[in-house]
Amino acid sequence: MAAARNNMRPAQKNTLLKVVILGDGGVGKSCLMNRFVSNQFDEHSFHTIGVEFLNKDVDIDGETYTLQIWDTAGQERFKTLRTPFYRGSDICMLTYAVDDRPSFRNLEMWKNEFLYYADVRENAQFPFIVVGNKSDVPAEEREVSHLEMSTWCNENSITSCIEASAKNANNVQEAFRMAVQHWLRLETRADRNEQPINDTVDLTKRHSENRMSCCIGAADD
Amino acid sequence: MLRAAVSECNLNGGVPRTMPRVRRRSLTRNQFRGIKKEELQRRTSMYLASMTIDELYAEILYEILHNVGCDVNYEIGQTALFSYAQDAFKIANDKHRRLLEMAEKKEAPELLLNVEVIEAKDLKPKDSNGLSDPFVTLFLTSNNSHRYNTSVKTMTLSPVWEEHFALPITSSINDDTLCLEVWDFDPAESVKEKLGKIFEVKGVKGMRKLVKEIAVTATTGQHENELIGRAKIPLNTIPASGMTMWYSLDKKNKVNRQGVLKVRISYSSEKNNQVAEQEHRHVLRIILLHELEMSKVAPYWWCGTFSPQGEQLLTQHIAQSGLNPTEVALCQWSVFAGIHQNHQLSFTLFSNLLDKLIKPLQSNSVSEEDLKLFWEATKKLLPSCFSIIRKIRKKSTSEKATMKQVTEVLKILNYINSLEPLPNFDLFPSTIYPWITYHGEGNNCNVPATLNDAVAQGASDWLNHILENNKRPDETEISRLQNLIQIIQLVRSDLQKAIEFYDKLFQETINFQYAKALYVFYQAKISTMVEPEVREICKGLKKLNYTGYNSLTNGDANTDPLTEGTSLFELYLAVQRFATLALGLCPADCDTFHIKNFHEWFHGGVAQWLDIAVYKALQRIEKAVELDKLVHVDNTVKYSSSAVDTLTIFYQVKVFWQQLNWPDVEGYYTFIAKIIDDICRCCVFYADKMSARVDGMGDVQDIYEKKFEVTNEWCLAINNIDYVRETLEPFTRDLGMEEVIQKISKLKSPVEAQRCQHTLENVIANAIDTVRNKIIELLEIVVAKMAPAMKRLLIEGAELCNQDSNSIDRLMMYVDNNLSTLHRELNEENFNRTLEIVWDMLSKTLCEIIQSNLDKRRPPSFFDNLRKTLNLMLGSFKNPADCDNCNDLKRTEQILRIHGLETADLIHQVHLDMADHFNKIKDSPYGEISVRCKFEGNTLAVEVMNARNLMAMDSNGSCDAFIRVHLLPEHKFSEHDKPKTKTHNKTQFPLFDEKFVLKLSPEQRQIEDALLLFSVKDKDLLGYNNQYIGEAFLDFKSIEDTTLPLTSLPQIHLQLSRPKDLTLDSVKALEYRQGDKQAKEFLKKFKQRMGS
Repeated sequence: MAAARNNMRPAQKNTLLKVVILGDGGVGKSCLMNRFVSNQFDEHSFHTIGVEFLNKDVDIDGETYTLQIWDTAGQERFKTLRTPFYRGSDICMLTYAVDDRPSFRNLEMWKNEFLYYADVRENAQFPFIVVGNKSDVPAEEREVSHLEMSTWCNENSITSCIEASAKNANNVQEAFRMAVQHWLRLETRADRNEQPINDTVDLTKRHSENRMSCCIGAADD
Repeated sequence: MLRAAVSECNLNGGVPRTMPRVRRRSLTRNQFRGIKKEELQRRTSMYLASMTIDELYAEILYEILHNVGCDVNYEIGQTALFSYAQDAFKIANDKHRRLLEMAEKKEAPELLLNVEVIEAKDLKPKDSNGLSDPFVTLFLTSNNSHRYNTSVKTMTLSPVWEEHFALPITSSINDDTLCLEVWDFDPAESVKEKLGKIFEVKGVKGMRKLVKEIAVTATTGQHENELIGRAKIPLNTIPASGMTMWYSLDKKNKVNRQGVLKVRISYSSEKNNQVAEQEHRHVLRIILLHELEMSKVAPYWWCGTFSPQGEQLLTQHIAQSGLNPTEVALCQWSVFAGIHQNHQLSFTLFSNLLDKLIKPLQSNSVSEEDLKLFWEATKKLLPSCFSIIRKIRKKSTSEKATMKQVTEVLKILNYINSLEPLPNFDLFPSTIYPWITYHGEGNNCNVPATLNDAVAQGASDWLNHILENNKRPDETEISRLQNLIQIIQLVRSDLQKAIEFYDKLFQETINFQYAKALYVFYQAKISTMVEPEVREICKGLKKLNYTGYNSLTNGDANTDPLTEGTSLFELYLAVQRFATLALGLCPADCDTFHIKNFHEWFHGGVAQWLDIAVYKALQRIEKAVELDKLVHVDNTVKYSSSAVDTLTIFYQVKVFWQQLNWPDVEGYYTFIAKIIDDICRCCVFYADKMSARVDGMGDVQDIYEKKFEVTNEWCLAINNIDYVRETLEPFTRDLGMEEVIQKISKLKSPVEAQRCQHTLENVIANAIDTVRNKIIELLEIVVAKMAPAMKRLLIEGAELCNQDSNSIDRLMMYVDNNLSTLHRELNEENFNRTLEIVWDMLSKTLCEIIQSNLDKRRPPSFFDNLRKTLNLMLGSFKNPADCDNCNDLKRTEQILRIHGLETADLIHQVHLDMADHFNKIKDSPYGEISVRCKFEGNTLAVEVMNARNLMAMDSNGSCDAFIRVHLLPEHKFSEHDKPKTKTHNKTQFPLFDEKFVLKLSPEQRQIEDALLLFSVKDKDLLGYNNQYIGEAFLDFKSIEDTTLPLTSLPQIHLQLSRPKDLTLDSVKALEYRQGDKQAKEFLKKFKQRMGS
């Protein structure tokens, strides 16, 4: 529609969504992101240093959403480096590798770490999505079954979960789309229930009106 | 105290007895004749053990009676000395008298005159070889028969003897003279031997001498030593403390000097050396205590100066006991060190003594007994030295005396350190030095280690004192943090002082790195103090929620996370500054210090600090926006104060970051990403606050209507945000991005560094984009506020175009004014953005107007007027040329134009659109036709040549085609026939070859967009219902105007086509004209052609 506008953002803005990917070191968080954003896969990727950041637009139901994806370092020593980035997230992707049971067991820890540092309101339903990466591994190497994953998700009231493979590009797009759809569902529900906004500024509160900003809902009055 | 010390001297409290005298006959000290050595030692130790004050006093009185030396101060007089001694020894009058009588009765002391013949120079040659064979004869004139000779030094004029002699003084010192004679030795040689020397004779004088010698030898037949010269020294010119002098040698009848002789002369006695030393130590102690008592000299002040009486007593005792300087110094060392324990003396005194002692001590020329005494005394002295080191902080560094004292102490320690301690000697017993950490094998004599411990202990004592004094009543985390900060600051200033005043001193004097030793101690202490505290606090940091800057006023400063985080950061900076000191103080070791990785303790705090930085930034931004008067900062810029303030606020974040100076590369990189994100958040916050600030401005109401005026404030708000946005990128570059990427490249790998770089660039781009979004949002608000007026202008223009209307003028003025304001106030980029939004808005508005008015079946003139009004309005835009870039608006305008056409024109528009469309077709299923056309003047000649591949229309798979030629627009060529070819049956490749000539009017010829339409049909058998095959267009403009015959012109091949659908705008517009018969009819036919 506004193709002629060079180097300018279209006046009609996309919805910006901040996505944080969490999970043990080595489950393939960066690979998932790179597969999703640039459709590339590097067999010998490095440990992420602190955080990585990429942008990607997705179209869902005719709307364009810009995902701002923060890929975090899973190693324990990076904990204090990654946690500051949790705040203001719209979506949290919890990842594990299907051939790595400890990484699956750690989902609980990751979820709690996220909830603590993201400062999400206790009762708020937060759009978590669980992604079991490395679904390409041979059956004999698999340590976590699909059933276990869905059981865990049910126990933790997480409705979105999917197995994917960054290596063979299976379900990667779907995982991210699923996440956005999940967010949308919660958002529309929240919109219906949302109280009139008070006139103070609460940086930690997620304001649906401020989805446009890359930063945490910084202001609204 | 002093009195007690004196009574201690009265060793056994024994009865007075005469002092045994051990006489020595030999010239050398250590040889005794007559008495066995064992017996001597037994007696000595007996005496030493039983010596009493009275005996010592009697000895002193005796010495007063027999003062020696030219330097005796006769002004003092014996009486004064007696009275001084009596006071010092605290002797009652009657006892004094008794003892004095005893002393007077004793015969005069047997003093010895010690003479060391050292060397001679410039002696006159006496031998024929131009040299001499000198030796020295010495004697006292009172006893000139008793002569002493040195050895003979052959063939030299500058002999060195270094021989000692002790001459008993028998007569009165004042009358006697020491005589020194230098002789040339002449051995008994025969004349023949002497003649043999002729060849060695040097010069004429030498020859003459030899001849004379030979003559003498020949006449007397015996040898004769020849006097070179003599020196006479009256004994009363020799001071009691002795002297070393060059004496010139004279000879009777000779005026010239015969040479010079160097001798050392001193007095001595035949007293037993050990006894003499012991006596001297006692006397020294008694006199010093007495003097200290009398003069009330301050601690650490006495530096070796006695009263003249005291001085004379001591000098006499030294002289009359024959103590040599080393022995005296050792006595002093021992006595002074003892007294020092109770009454501190100046360290300069000790250091000067060591100056004298160090050589004898190092060269092992001190007796074993003395050596032991020396070390015992040293052991007494050292605690006080280390005490000075430990309590160094109690001294004012500004006083010269302090520095002097420390210097002397260090000198002493350095000397002691240079000495080999006694075997099995514990110089630093742990009972006296409980703080010593050195526990080597056996006894501890390690001076440097002890010094290090003393320094550390001093620091430790001081630190404990500081900790005690800085205890706080409340034990909140914040007060604990502030306490630590204060302590680190104090420690740092202590180190600073150490560096400034003492370090050089320690290094130069004793080669000890004082500041470094302190640093090593402090860094460990600080680490153990700070680390657990910080780690604990970091774990429990409370989250920070920004709820507007007014929320602060009711916060409790002691618990609020802001104060706590700030204190924690201050502590970080304090520790950082402290840790940095290591680089200067001990660069080699700083890697080994625990404090080196202090930042790890604070790891958990960084996120909190970043939050605080944002928190404060938001607070200040909010305030800045509130205080912004919304006027240009100055004439050259288009932004107002809050933009500048916001940049200052960002700058403060940068300063924070630079202060943090996070050493860990990975952390550094990650935190930069966070800061950029945070700054972006601040920008958005600013944008929101700014837009809230100007919201409601510009809404005006006059008698006509309520409307919105674009105000300078609005423009400033937009410019402000843009100004802030522009600085985002340079700001982030300033955070040290490039450096950290380079470091990652080195530490990890270039690939990883590149990824990090991409991330940072993405975050920046994203931030910039987001803020740009905000600007657009604001611009949209402005445009949305202007939209109603613009919409009204368009509608009124459409209704009333070409009529003079105040309303339109007013609206035009409104649009014009607002755009002028925007153009003037906004920068170009934002103005262009605004225009784009305006166009966007306009095209949407127009679409609405068009739609609603189509629904109302407004006549074409309405839309035409609307279009004119639009163009009028676009004309008032400042750069309307750019409007062409806006496809939306262009298309809307196109639609508007179509709707503005009268139906006949609209129908032609359909044809034009179709022609445009058909001419693009390359391969048609309906077939193609070939024609030739030309104009000659106003005459149009058309030759329909043939058709090919016509679509089979009949059941036999063929067709019976004919072509009709139309001139369009139809209503402009109504008087013309529509020529038609013959029908060619049953062929899909008919050859028509028919020519038509049409005479047009000049007006018709000039119609710009006139078209030729070739309509190809299939003739129905009955002729009623001809079937439509397809059609082709040729516009007048592509037809040549020529006089050449038609046959010479190239054939024109036209693809046949059919109208496809109803999507053309012109067709759609026709469909809206429901009430229009012409439109209706055309559409009916159009649809027929589509459907066939």
